[in-house]
Amino acid sequence: MNGSAAPIQEFPLRDEKAPLSSRGDVTGFFMDLAAEIGADSYMLVAIVHDQDRSDARIVCSNWVFDAIELAGKRLIARLAQGALTTAPGSRPRPLVASAAPDADGLVTGEQARLLDVLGHGEIYSLRLDVGRQRLFCLFSAASAGRIDQVAVMKAQLKCCYALSQVSHLLAQASMQDPLSDRERECLFWVSEGKTTDEVAVILGVSSNTVNSYITHAIQKFSASNRAMAIATAIRSGII
Amino acid sequence: MTDTSALRAETGEAAEGPFSQHQGPFGAFAIGSPSPQVGTIADAVRRCRWIAVDINASGFAMFFAGPTAERDRLVACFDSDYPGVSAATKFMSGTGGEEMVRHTRLSTEPRWWCDDGAAGSGAAFRDLAWVRETTPLVPATAGIAFPVHAERGQCGLAVFFGLQIALRQDQLYEIHARCFALFSAVARVRPGDAGLSRAVSKRELECLRLTANGYTSEAIARLLKLSVHTANQYLTQCAQKLNAVSRTQAVAKALRLGLIE
Repeated sequence: MNGSAAPIQEFPLRDEKAPLSSRGDVTGFFMDLAAEIGADSYMLVAIVHDQDRSDARIVCSNWVFDAIELAGKRLIARLAQGALTTAPGSRPRPLVASAAPDADGLVTGEQARLLDVLGHGEIYSLRLDVGRQRLFCLFSAASAGRIDQVAVMKAQLKCCYALSQVSHLLAQASMQDPLSDRERECLFWVSEGKTTDEVAVILGVSSNTVNSYITHAIQKFSASNRAMAIATAIRSGII
Repeated sequence: MTDTSALRAETGEAAEGPFSQHQGPFGAFAIGSPSPQVGTIADAVRRCRWIAVDINASGFAMFFAGPTAERDRLVACFDSDYPGVSAATKFMSGTGGEEMVRHTRLSTEPRWWCDDGAAGSGAAFRDLAWVRETTPLVPATAGIAFPVHAERGQCGLAVFFGLQIALRQDQLYEIHARCFALFSAVARVRPGDAGLSRAVSKRELECLRLTANGYTSEAIARLLKLSVHTANQYLTQCAQKLNAVSRTQAVAKALRLGLIE
């Protein structure tokens, strides 16, 4: 499917049996799915850890720019990973903005009003398991009760399936500067407990080269050392 | 029962708590008990049998998929011969299951197989969206394997097989959702590496978690109000208990085992 430039009303319905293969397919899939369950918006989020903070990296979304800016990545990370986030197979519970200050302290009254005004009066937050990778999806509608709860349970599994087909794209989609194959290989062997010299023998290059690959990987992750780079790579499913 | 009503029944049941933290994970069996009770594997087997009945499968098995690259085998949790172990399970726990372990780590899509002579079941899978064919997991049968994942990063596989399996597209999501719920309950009762995770102390894990977040020993010592030596000692002990050669490998192992997030 190649319809990202086409007007929305002409967006062709995806054939469920055709495998997804590109970022455009992922966008098309989420647009169709949101419409199917009665949601106005979707947002696919990867969570990245940085010291003691969690940050949200948005993989794809049809939230308007201002809504993302005003809500902020912190709030989005909290929504994606909060107390109302449901695992596949559990009964999903929406965050209803008008009742939110009571909802497990997830958002403050002011943030709830903001979400409501921005057209996210009801938000379902779903955990998506794509192999060992973990992503989060927010489906929202302007007013409560618009989204079909049973359809959400099905949609959650469909998301897991669809993203499984493009898992190779996802691991790196949330990164601004993806790792090269060599850098990834080095990180993998280090995570298996090999020393720089051992990795050099395994890959048949000099240990200076190995060190430089690893340094680049650390920089790309903006990690502070090897251990953190390894942790980031495992959390995002790259190794 | 239509698919929608089945899902509603499942959600209605969930409202009473089978999958909530407050009651036994196997719901119906825990309701009415005065204190929160943890279900047993026998309860899980019963629950799995209901799923098998709904798709007309004659056999089933639930596995953990080893989280680290050194163990590519499926680790049996229970099967349809519980408390015994069926020949099919032994087969899948061997090299026959290795490909599915690797698949489970990367993908959540179900996989089906159909060996010669099981054409009836094969027809049920051929037209389904989102599922693809794989090499037979159990010889002379047809079946379907659902990758499942639990809260702390445990991976598993729910397998159903038989000669007369019936599975409709709209049923697929419901069945897989029930497998997810069942596995997450099983993982709470029997964490994949219980012995290992108990052995590593809370303090050691805290140090490891901070290491994974980029803190140096000095920073950890300052944060936890320890001496640098103590922090280093915790990390060394941690690496030993996890059978790792360096603290970097210990971080990697702990993350893959789900000991730290």
